[in-house]
Amino acid sequence: MNLAGAESGGGRAMPPRTSERVTQIRPERGLFDLELEAVWRYRDLLATLVKRDVMVLYRQAALGAAWAVIQPVFAIAIFTFIFGRIAKFPTGGAPYPVFAFAAVLPWNYFAECVRRGGLGLVTEAELIRKVYFPRILLPLSAAIAPLVDLAIGFGVLLVAMLIYGVTPTWRLLAVVPLSLIAGLMGLAVSLWFGPVNVRFRDVKHTLPFLLQIWMYASPVVYAFSMIPDRWKPLYALNPMVGVIEGFRWAVLGQGQPDLGAMAIGAVIICVLLFGGLVFFKRMERSFADLI
Amino acid sequence: MNDIAIKAVGLGKRYRLGARTGRSNSLRDALDGALRRLGQRHGAPREFWALRDASFEIRRGENVGIIGLNGAGKSTLLKVLSQIVTPTEGHATVAGRLGALLEVGTGFHQELTGRENVFLYGSILGMTQAEVAEKFDAIVAFAEIESFIDTPVKRYSSGMYVRLAFAVAAHLDPDILLLDEVLAVGDFSFQNKCMEFARSLEGRGATTLFVSHNMFSIKSLCERVIYLRKGAVAFDGATDQGLKLYEDDQHLQAPAWFNQGGEAAIEFTNVELLSADGAPRGMYDFEERMKVRIAYHARRSIRRPNFMVCVTRADNVVCCNFSTMADDVDLPGVEGYGVLEMTTPPLRLTADNYWITILVRENRFDEILQAQVAGRFHVRHPIYERVGFGVFHDPADWRHHAVAAVNDERARA
Repeated sequence: MNLAGAESGGGRAMPPRTSERVTQIRPERGLFDLELEAVWRYRDLLATLVKRDVMVLYRQAALGAAWAVIQPVFAIAIFTFIFGRIAKFPTGGAPYPVFAFAAVLPWNYFAECVRRGGLGLVTEAELIRKVYFPRILLPLSAAIAPLVDLAIGFGVLLVAMLIYGVTPTWRLLAVVPLSLIAGLMGLAVSLWFGPVNVRFRDVKHTLPFLLQIWMYASPVVYAFSMIPDRWKPLYALNPMVGVIEGFRWAVLGQGQPDLGAMAIGAVIICVLLFGGLVFFKRMERSFADLI
Repeated sequence: MNDIAIKAVGLGKRYRLGARTGRSNSLRDALDGALRRLGQRHGAPREFWALRDASFEIRRGENVGIIGLNGAGKSTLLKVLSQIVTPTEGHATVAGRLGALLEVGTGFHQELTGRENVFLYGSILGMTQAEVAEKFDAIVAFAEIESFIDTPVKRYSSGMYVRLAFAVAAHLDPDILLLDEVLAVGDFSFQNKCMEFARSLEGRGATTLFVSHNMFSIKSLCERVIYLRKGAVAFDGATDQGLKLYEDDQHLQAPAWFNQGGEAAIEFTNVELLSADGAPRGMYDFEERMKVRIAYHARRSIRRPNFMVCVTRADNVVCCNFSTMADDVDLPGVEGYGVLEMTTPPLRLTADNYWITILVRENRFDEILQAQVAGRFHVRHPIYERVGFGVFHDPADWRHHAVAAVNDERARA
């Protein structure tokens, strides 16, 4: 830094600027000017926000990060009891706990992205009112931070596979791109909900049961095959169907990933994501005024 | 263009009053408002310009004070320049790295330790992690909290919290720094440190825009002021001239903390600061008496009014309050025009700048009916010539005993 030089020199000659960047401040901006280069410039802040969210999550909890294990395990136990034992949903021969876990994992990750990303702007209202940074960092970090829980959960899944005698195969590698798709979907949804929540706090009350309904509209506790054939094309419009079925395929080796459904899902995610970006950038300018 | 740091051309920011800015953040309220607007037809949303047609150029290395009454648009201007809010009209160009400190410690996380927060806050302010790491020791030393650096900040005292936050900001090393009242925090010695810091920026060729209600720090830091009045630039030039204009405007205006709703029941039409024998004064010697003559106009009968004269130091420290009620002056009621005169006891204030605010409360200590800033004065002290010697000076009773026995014992040991 030029700080030291300026001090020892003691002269009044102007030190060079630390940055030659010239910022233009204007009321209007192009509809498709997404300023993605600003995200790159602020990548350090993105990393810090993610780190903060991860560090803060289990602070001052006696069990700490163990909660990342306890929560999904309890959910699986309840699902296994109700849907596996009592309702006896068909799983195509797979043990129900593993069958459910393979779906709960990507679903929880996606739901967490949406929950944090959708409500995060308002949680960080102080920051938005007092500090400039590309606001999109907030939903972005909300989509990245829960990856830690996902990774821990994946470890638990591997243990569950061992216990229930499900042999892992090379297909397991597919969970990496599948998680990425789930994250992009979560980001896309929160790009829409976040700005609306800034204007209407109703989102805070809507989101939990919307996610609840969405979960039951996705093959989390039951198999995709239980859906009647004539409803399948409509059902596949939900991009999480492809992701969850992909996870089951990767973990249990059941069936074939439905490439058609996944293609439809991919198109929908792309549309939602791009539209969400434009919408978010459009709304972003008034965040500090409305929040 | 190379020596221009900020160039603003016709900057304006409009806010809509009512449903959009109020606390009505739910869909139902918005629908409600929309229906009502349909019903009224002529009910155009009320708008107001927080900032209008602001044009100026600031050269590299300049320290510029932004002054104005509350709601004059000072903070809005800083928010527009720091890209927190988007202007409604006009445009601006900012050359170089800009650091904005609109509030100290925004973004601190309560659960994280001081160390973790230094990194978090640093990157919120725009530093890279490597930069923060490099300056970490200097930041902790500046904040003077070495032993608490690994404690969660929720356990910090408010002083420690502010010191740490400011220390991070002080090491931001920007080309342009926007400061909003942030130097007005912390204890006296820390404030001095902050002032020193602001001056050191000057040596580095940094450009500073500085919003403050504290004319004292504006005077010592800025050679130029931009005076905003109702969102417009009313004056742009030499600090002394600008402050004079501002103080004249402020005369008999409501102070920043007082919000007058509707027409005032009583108003001070003239307030004079005089010497004990009635000559106009702006400078008082230590232990001199001050006479304040207050002319008022009460629009309605005010029952058992309590007139108060409040003396505040230039750095916003309230020094004393004289009150008719506290001094057992029985005013059963006032109405219409009148004049009230009070003479202070000998002023024991130390050397500094002070201003006077006059208040009226109804029925002893009930609601404040009126508060107006009513004049400034300076106090001269024979010994404490400079500021920083506390609020008042009164001779104490001193006694000294040399204890010979103890001294002998120490010598033997």
